[in-house]
Amino acid sequence: MYKIVSPRVGTPGEEFVPIGGVNLDALLAAGFIVKIEKPKTAKTKGDNITEDKESE
Amino acid sequence: MATSTYLSNPVVIVNSVDLTNQCTAATLTRRFAELDATSFGDTSTKYTAGLQDNELTLTLYMSYAATETYATLSSLVGTTTTVRVQPAAPPDSATNPGLILTGAFLAELPVLNATMGELSTIDVVFRGGVFSADTTAP
Repeated sequence: MYKIVSPRVGTPGEEFVPIGGVNLDALLAAGFIVKIEKPKTAKTKGDNITEDKESE
Repeated sequence: MATSTYLSNPVVIVNSVDLTNQCTAATLTRRFAELDATSFGDTSTKYTAGLQDNELTLTLYMSYAATETYATLSSLVGTTTTVRVQPAAPPDSATNPGLILTGAFLAELPVLNATMGELSTIDVVFRGGVFSADTTAP
């Protein structure tokens, strides 16, 4: 997931969604965008059941 | 007789970076290699289309400031990217198509072109890539 830094790419602070063929490394190297961690989602009940089964 | 007036003021986007206010000239040429398909019985040369061989030439003011011309292009030399030009500001339409080269190669970048007392400009050429024209607003 990428966030826009420079107004030349879009609205700063918004998520950057790359179109096909875009060179992400060049955008990151020049500071036009930054990589951000994807927010962790809460575990669902299904996840817990799976973990329990695995631990058995 | 000219039926409409077109003042060239295109939008120029290189690798998703809007360089419109750094650009003074843009020429996008769509081209196919011409393959000779002439055979016995023909009375003139015939050609058929080969591979696409597209090219975009941009004249840009050189600026070494953050997020401007040099910062945009320096990491693109020797790589492929997507470039887009459009006759006027969006939205895309049949009369204002977004003209796109996907996978265009930047072989060289003049990193300095300086003349005493003049604004520095550079010409860059993106070659190859697949051409498409976007006529529908996102």
